Amino acid sequence: MNAVVHAEMSFADPLRCERITKRYADEIVLRDVSLGVTPGSVLGLIGRNGAGKTTLIRTLLGLEQPDHGQAFVFGEPSLGLTDAAKQRIGYVPQQPDAFAWMRIGDMLAFVGRQYPRWDGDFVELSLARWHISPERKLVSLSPGERQHVALIRGLAVNPDLLVLDEPASALDPVMRRDLLREIVARAAESGTTVLFSTHIVSDLERVASRVVFLHDHRIAVDAALDDLSETHARLTIPARSPALWASRVPGEVSRRRQLDGSVTLVIARSRGAEWPEIVAAPGIRLDALNLEDLFIEVAR
Amino acid sequence: MNADRFTILPGASEPIYQQIGSQLRRLIASGQLPPGEVLPSVRDMAVQHAINPMTVSRAYCQLEGEGLLTRLRGKGMAVAQVARNVLSPEQRLARLQAQLTEVARQARELDLPARLVLQRLKSLLEDSE
Repeated sequence: MNAVVHAEMSFADPLRCERITKRYADEIVLRDVSLGVTPGSVLGLIGRNGAGKTTLIRTLLGLEQPDHGQAFVFGEPSLGLTDAAKQRIGYVPQQPDAFAWMRIGDMLAFVGRQYPRWDGDFVELSLARWHISPERKLVSLSPGERQHVALIRGLAVNPDLLVLDEPASALDPVMRRDLLREIVARAAESGTTVLFSTHIVSDLERVASRVVFLHDHRIAVDAALDDLSETHARLTIPARSPALWASRVPGEVSRRRQLDGSVTLVIARSRGAEWPEIVAAPGIRLDALNLEDLFIEVAR
Repeated sequence: MNADRFTILPGASEPIYQQIGSQLRRLIASGQLPPGEVLPSVRDMAVQHAINPMTVSRAYCQLEGEGLLTRLRGKGMAVAQVARNVLSPEQRLARLQAQLTEVARQARELDLPARLVLQRLKSLLEDSE
């Protein structure tokens, strides 16, 4: 009986939310956000500062209560996770500030006791590799070192689900590449599901299988990264053809008026589908977009 | 073969799985990767270049579908024994569809007559023969 329940749980999306809306006082932070993260995928969450990335992550994990909608981890409601589910999650918050008064070695040992799959050898190796003495207190660390310790803590859990909130913000390029390799190795060897937020577009382009743009407190783009150049493009309508931009273009994601009076749109289609008829109109330009272009077009 | 023989550029207009695919096609066509040569595992490629493992699998599967690679039992992928021209001319032409569409689009933007564009393309094709 238990085996059946366990099998059903492991087939559920590791992370999912349905129609989440969240306000702080009068300010809206998330607007009707729905998302499912499939097992083994690496999802990159991107958006400008204040777009709601951290709130979305915290709500998905049950650390914030949404005003509407519901979040699930391994099929369980996030707000009432069992210990068994919690033990399968490695979470690296943006500003790790817990246990600041503790020595690093003591803190990691303390946390480790709560996780059955805790990998003590990994902790030792990683501290040595990054030249961090376990005798030091967390308060004495630089921001980069603190981020490292938080990463070691999140990875030592051997999680089935790894959630990283801006994990690379205080790391130099060498350390960042190390971290990306670690993420990729986990995904390749253990099928670990990963959600990470960043605004370093090239990192996301390397390791993510799927990208979600949070803009204006809602999901503006949700796309498979390998297909992005096929599914998304920029359409430029010249200033002399106002009739063409008068109404919404099929698949329109965003639009922007340029200084010369022309209008650029980001349009999306599903894989294998045709572009709307407008792309063949005279004077219209259709350009491929890379991830960074797309981010800037949508988020401006 | 080592994973570091590949060059991966994030931010390029060519998606990463296509970058891997086109580098492999070139290495195989030029004989630098002889038949039977074993490719780096998906894991090694992913970790070496810090790229998503599914992206690597997708590139390998695509070339397997083209007949350029064969799957070894339990040992990953290798260059196929007969790795040349296993695709029909139509299938190979389909690989150029995106580039040809792009050339056609830019030719229209530049208001160039088809005759001139075709002439130039023809001479480019004959040059490299």
